[in-house]
Amino acid sequence: MVLTLAVAGALVLGGCGLGIPRDPHGTLERVTDGVLRVGVSPNGSLVTVDGGAVGGSEPELIEGFADSIGARVEWTVGSEEALVRGLEAGRLDLVAGGITSKTPWTTKAGKTRPYTEVPADGGGTHRLVFLVPLGENGFLAELERYLDREAETP
Amino acid sequence: MRHFGRTDLPDEQARALRKAVRLEWISIAFLSVSIVLVALVMGNSQVMKTAWIEDMLSLVPQIAFLVALLVARRPSDPKHPYGYHRSAGIGHLVAAVALTAVGSLLAVESSIALVRVEHPTIGTVELFGTTVWLGWLMVAVMLFIATPPVILGRMKLKLAPVLHDKVLHADADMNKADWQTNAASIIGVTGVGFGLWWMDSAMALLVSISIVRDGTKNLRAAVLDLMDRRAMTSDMKRPHPLVAEIDARLATLPWIDRAASRARDMGHVFHIESFVVPRDGTVSVGQLGEARRMCDDLDWKVRDIVVVPVDDLPRALFEEDPDDEEWEDRRGRGRAGARGEDGRR
Repeated sequence: MVLTLAVAGALVLGGCGLGIPRDPHGTLERVTDGVLRVGVSPNGSLVTVDGGAVGGSEPELIEGFADSIGARVEWTVGSEEALVRGLEAGRLDLVAGGITSKTPWTTKAGKTRPYTEVPADGGGTHRLVFLVPLGENGFLAELERYLDREAETP
Repeated sequence: MRHFGRTDLPDEQARALRKAVRLEWISIAFLSVSIVLVALVMGNSQVMKTAWIEDMLSLVPQIAFLVALLVARRPSDPKHPYGYHRSAGIGHLVAAVALTAVGSLLAVESSIALVRVEHPTIGTVELFGTTVWLGWLMVAVMLFIATPPVILGRMKLKLAPVLHDKVLHADADMNKADWQTNAASIIGVTGVGFGLWWMDSAMALLVSISIVRDGTKNLRAAVLDLMDRRAMTSDMKRPHPLVAEIDARLATLPWIDRAASRARDMGHVFHIESFVVPRDGTVSVGQLGEARRMCDDLDWKVRDIVVVPVDDLPRALFEEDPDDEEWEDRRGRGRAGARGEDGRR
């Protein structure tokens, strides 16, 4: 068991150094110091679209993430289905719009861990997530790492 | 536990049985922990899901073994004149069907994932304040649970021939090869870590194929046993030597010219019919009883043996069989006896 833990520990430390997990399509590499193509769908105060201006708490969070990897955000506004199609086709890197952990899109897109909870209309709470392209695990891990850091420093 | 039905177990078997029961309980406890651990880290990995289902499937033979023991212990009664020994065969069949069916399903699922180019999405978890890729936890869990089944499997494999228990043998065989599933999972998940998305489904396919192979191998054995194939050793590789031994022992009795037996493997014990050709065409009830008792004392597996005087041995027991190494030997005995009498068979 000691051996197991030692091996696992070595892998975790080594993995961080090697940049594991990696993306099959190299999303993280492409967006770092480049352009992050984000699709948004208006949703209450989470995502607002006023004329051409995208605002709300989720776009703010995404701007912060883009800053952390030196990326410039390019916004696309559309319906959720159109945006998920964009993720599948590789036209978008990230989709937001008050999407919850119970999203039915999970066979077409990857989702982050819930980064926050908001009260739902009918009582209870919604756990909010972002959508990413399927299997781009390096990009997903980087985004989740940023979201964890943000959650710790309010 | 000292009985299989009306059979009293010798000390060696009683000890082995207690040990086997203990090992099976340990296996079930360990597997339950594995199943929970794997479920916690499984994520979207196909190979982890396959390994998880395999873990759950490997509970089936273990539970079947324990249940079959409870049932097989009951003595025979007027309603069940052959006892309850066959319960082991039913357990074997159920386990084999489950393995084959679920294994095939998983193989199809993995193939579809490969053909559709489904990229497995494996994110991170927050662990003690740091963000860790879930893939590393999968690797850690698979390493952690890899060794105990191999050790348990090897221990059970030693007990299976002592108890003549095929379910135990099948279970031990699967346990022994269990590390391969863990290795495949680790390779698959690490591959995904390196951006090789197809490694996950490819390894899942490999694991499912091994489940199907286990399943069909046992399905064949279980069906053949339920069809009353000649009794085989618990690893199902050779005809059980006990039958030939009984024939040889019977042939040593002065009043017996030739003898041939057929044994039904009831699981654990054999029901045996021994056909004997008396030397001068007559036999007394006392002689038959003596022959029966002699065979009974030969081995604990001999159960409900009947010795039947006949004028000729059933042909089926002498038909040539290229798989049977003892066939020549047995035919030789039949001939030797025959030659002594009238020079031909």
